[in-house]
Amino acid sequence: MNPVAEKSTVETSKTTRSLTLVQAVTDALGTMLAEDNRVMLLGEDIGKNGGVFRATEGLQEKFGEDRVIDTPLSEAGIVGSSVGLAVNGMIPVVEIQFLGFVYPAYEQIATHVSRVRMRTMSKYTVPMVIRAPYGAGVRAPEIHSDSPESLFTHMPGIKVVCPSSPADAKGLLIAAIKDPDPVLFMEPMRLYRAFREDVPEGMYEVEIGKGKKITEGDDVTVITWGAMVPVAKKAVEKAKAKGIQCDFIDMRTLFPLDQDIIAESVQKTGRVVVVHESHETTGVGNDILSIINKTSFLYMKAPIEKVTGFDVPVPFFALEDDYLPTPKRIGEAIEKVYTF
Amino acid sequence: MLEVKLHDIGEGMTEAEILHYFVKPGDSVVADQALVEVQTDKMVAELPSPTTGIVRELLIDTTSTVEVGTTILLIEAENHSGRAEQETAIATAETVPANQATSIATKIKGPHRIKAAPYTRKIARENDVDITLVNGTGPAGRILEQDVYHFMETVSNQISESQETATTDTVQPASPSPADKVASIPAEAETIPFTGIRKQIAKKMTHSLTTIPHVTHFEEIDMTNLLALRQELKADGVSVSAVAFFIKALVVALKDFPIFNAKLDEENGVIILEKDYHIGLAVDSTLGLIVPVLKNAHKKTLLEVHNEMKELNEKARLGTLSGNEMRGGTMTITNVGPLGSTGATPIINHPETAIIAFHKTKKCAVVTDEDEIAIRSMMNISMSFDHRVADGATAVAFTNRFADLIEHPKKLWLELI
Repeated sequence: MNPVAEKSTVETSKTTRSLTLVQAVTDALGTMLAEDNRVMLLGEDIGKNGGVFRATEGLQEKFGEDRVIDTPLSEAGIVGSSVGLAVNGMIPVVEIQFLGFVYPAYEQIATHVSRVRMRTMSKYTVPMVIRAPYGAGVRAPEIHSDSPESLFTHMPGIKVVCPSSPADAKGLLIAAIKDPDPVLFMEPMRLYRAFREDVPEGMYEVEIGKGKKITEGDDVTVITWGAMVPVAKKAVEKAKAKGIQCDFIDMRTLFPLDQDIIAESVQKTGRVVVVHESHETTGVGNDILSIINKTSFLYMKAPIEKVTGFDVPVPFFALEDDYLPTPKRIGEAIEKVYTF
Repeated sequence: MLEVKLHDIGEGMTEAEILHYFVKPGDSVVADQALVEVQTDKMVAELPSPTTGIVRELLIDTTSTVEVGTTILLIEAENHSGRAEQETAIATAETVPANQATSIATKIKGPHRIKAAPYTRKIARENDVDITLVNGTGPAGRILEQDVYHFMETVSNQISESQETATTDTVQPASPSPADKVASIPAEAETIPFTGIRKQIAKKMTHSLTTIPHVTHFEEIDMTNLLALRQELKADGVSVSAVAFFIKALVVALKDFPIFNAKLDEENGVIILEKDYHIGLAVDSTLGLIVPVLKNAHKKTLLEVHNEMKELNEKARLGTLSGNEMRGGTMTITNVGPLGSTGATPIINHPETAIIAFHKTKKCAVVTDEDEIAIRSMMNISMSFDHRVADGATAVAFTNRFADLIEHPKKLWLELI
């Protein structure tokens, strides 16, 4: 795991606005465009149109066509151009319309984005962010719903961040843009407009590499992130009604993983359920199991349960709900580890 | 020199008592010749010689109990005096004895495995508790955290008791040494070794009673009609025991109430309803309680059940039952009537769901439906069942069905194959 520089969460404003997750993303982009004139946005239809999900709405109008650039339909081209811009002093923030569309750019990310720092012995870094909505549950067609985060967590040199709330989304995106190294910023599209939250105005950061405890409990640790947070939360609440108190953790960053929050919780409860919507095999959940094995083996009271998507491409919408983890499946796993 | 070890001759076997050697040092033996008789928790078995050769040394005294994997005796294989030569013999793998030695070696299991989660082991380690001494009360005998704490509590009670009676200032060991235990037995007391089948019975009974919430339900059955039928058959030269009728009636009742022919699989959270009817027959043998299993009672005629039961009883008394004849029961009966009891609370044969005890049949004055007093032959039955799996009302319905079939044998005929 990469060490993460110690930073504290900085809030510069006490006033807040009630925003959805996608509005918080727009807010973060606007804040950074205003803050640092090296920041620029690139993507398909992100200018006049404001992007597929309107995440960049109004920004071209405000900051001009040189800062918010509509690109041709060419993921490899956008990412490749951004590497050139980044090593030459700009801070490009790329929007990929859906994370499932990132595959044409994968070659650029694997061979250039993630390696320039190592290749130049840290003479050059690639301070860029690749933003992409991800995940199933919105009835999108094939590929749009993929959750391929482990293709990127397996690649040293690039951080992978995945917020689950508007306030975290803004603070993490600002931290990602300020990070001297490349960050893949996964935006759970089913949470884009799912709920509102008070988001601080102005500039603040949420530290990359730090998980967040949502609820405290002594019985079972439930670990998840992104779009699965509200789903797992339902299961955690049901378990509580049955007398099982869960330590509920939102990882927020998938690479590097926050080992401390995992170890601290698991050593308290000894029972773990890991939830993610991507496929089970080689999913990030396995890395969490590996951390538990390394840090907390002697504290385990039951085998760890994973509740994940299945090892098939995300199915068309008629079967989408059967693919995704449900509160019922998660609840059963919680009871299983609790009663082992 | 070839080491003959105690190998696992039955499922789950961990130790055996050395009963008798058929050979002594210096004897010549041929492959497959019986070397030693051992008593496992279920049966008496002979261990054959894996090779042809000469017995050099008997390493374990008779009456000693040894774990699987322990070397019992040494044989010098024929024409091979050195270890190197023996290894060559095995390597060539052409001689029958060498092949057998290899196959036996592969069957030998390692030391007894302790089932416990890492956290439980940590607790034990931090408290200097030897986890191998702790009894597990979890699923499949797994040692739980509370078992370790319970063990510590027990030991600490023992320490405080021994400290109260101690006359010197010496520090007591954490657990009593074997010498202490021996010293606590009065010299004049007569002792019986608590080993072999007795120990196994104790273990099974404790496990069943501590893991299954038992409820015992009593019923009385009018045996007059059945006894009359038996007399009638006897006059025709056919002798069928009452228990054979009981077994056939039980199968019919079990088909109507399959919950009593079931096993609770806690690990997977399911109750398995068994498709076959294998009835365990608790037998009081000279070795202790043994439960041979009458397989597929539903596919057998009354006479077949009767004959097979006689055969199994005989084998149980002689201690010649095979492992297979003692496995796979789906429900157990115990016929204590001939010994004279009128009621009991039988312990379920784990992991089954129910057990029925049949008691003494005796003539009683009974008030009939016509308000007359009649002399009838009455028998009590005691049925214990797992209250996690079934409820009292179902048990009553089940015994009512059974009683109806016994009290009206003609109804039983209608159900027989």
